Amino acid sequence: MAFAEADLQTVVGRRFPGGEYTVSPWRAWLLADTVLAEPPSLLDDGERTAHPLFAWMAATGAMGTTWDELFAWFGATAADGPVFGEHETTLHRPLRIGATYRVSGGIESAERKVGRRTGVFDVVGYAMDLHDGGTHVARCWNSIVFPRRDA
Amino acid sequence: MSTSTVEVGTQLPAYDVPSVSAEKMKTMAALLSDPTPIHWDVATLQALGMGDRPVNQGPLNMGYVMNAVTAWAGGPESLRRLRVRFLGTVLAGQHLRVRGTVSGLREEDGARLADCDVVLEVVDGDAVVSGTATVVLA
Repeated sequence: MAFAEADLQTVVGRRFPGGEYTVSPWRAWLLADTVLAEPPSLLDDGERTAHPLFAWMAATGAMGTTWDELFAWFGATAADGPVFGEHETTLHRPLRIGATYRVSGGIESAERKVGRRTGVFDVVGYAMDLHDGGTHVARCWNSIVFPRRDA
Repeated sequence: MSTSTVEVGTQLPAYDVPSVSAEKMKTMAALLSDPTPIHWDVATLQALGMGDRPVNQGPLNMGYVMNAVTAWAGGPESLRRLRVRFLGTVLAGQHLRVRGTVSGLREEDGARLADCDVVLEVVDGDAVVSGTATVVLA
């Protein structure tokens, strides 16, 4: 059954289970190497800054749902071809290698649109916040686009 | 590079990825626990009619932009904000370039900030990521 426009608004406000994410030194090394940045030495025990992409890694890694579960909230599957639309990372302070961040967030917006070439699609906005103890460290906002070929 | 002479219109040094690596995509898939096979399985790509070149993960494309602006500003701790729109796909083997231009300068809580327009493009091809970044200048 098609996911109706009215169904969209019932999901806005839904919260992710959330969780915790640790920027382990091995993860910091491998991510930096993978994204073509300078990997941090594993022999240095001092305070070091993690690659800023870890804001996104932590947010999505500890939101507490799988991608398939998130798609299902909107009556979709990976086979429907959902794609990333936009992303915004805001860093209130640098992320630290070795730190553990608490991740929380949820669905913030959902809107049905019609494109001349693309047909009907839904744009869903969701955001996650990273906290280190009581300190708000970062926020990741994203939009995801669900094609609605059957709408 | 010194950022003491930065002004609106200053061009950031171009940041090149000479050839996008399919091997790095495999590591990224593992780090993300991302089961999507178009990033690492050529047989799946061929079955979907998508050729034989794996598709780079969007976060990696975003990471190249982060590298470009933080290398210019003085290090990974300099990034305050990045907003991007994903415009297209990047395939293994493609040559990419990040370009950036300072669009504004301001002070906030004693820090000197630069707002930059940024774009990641396939060399001799289309833009695949565009957006804005804010960095703290050293």
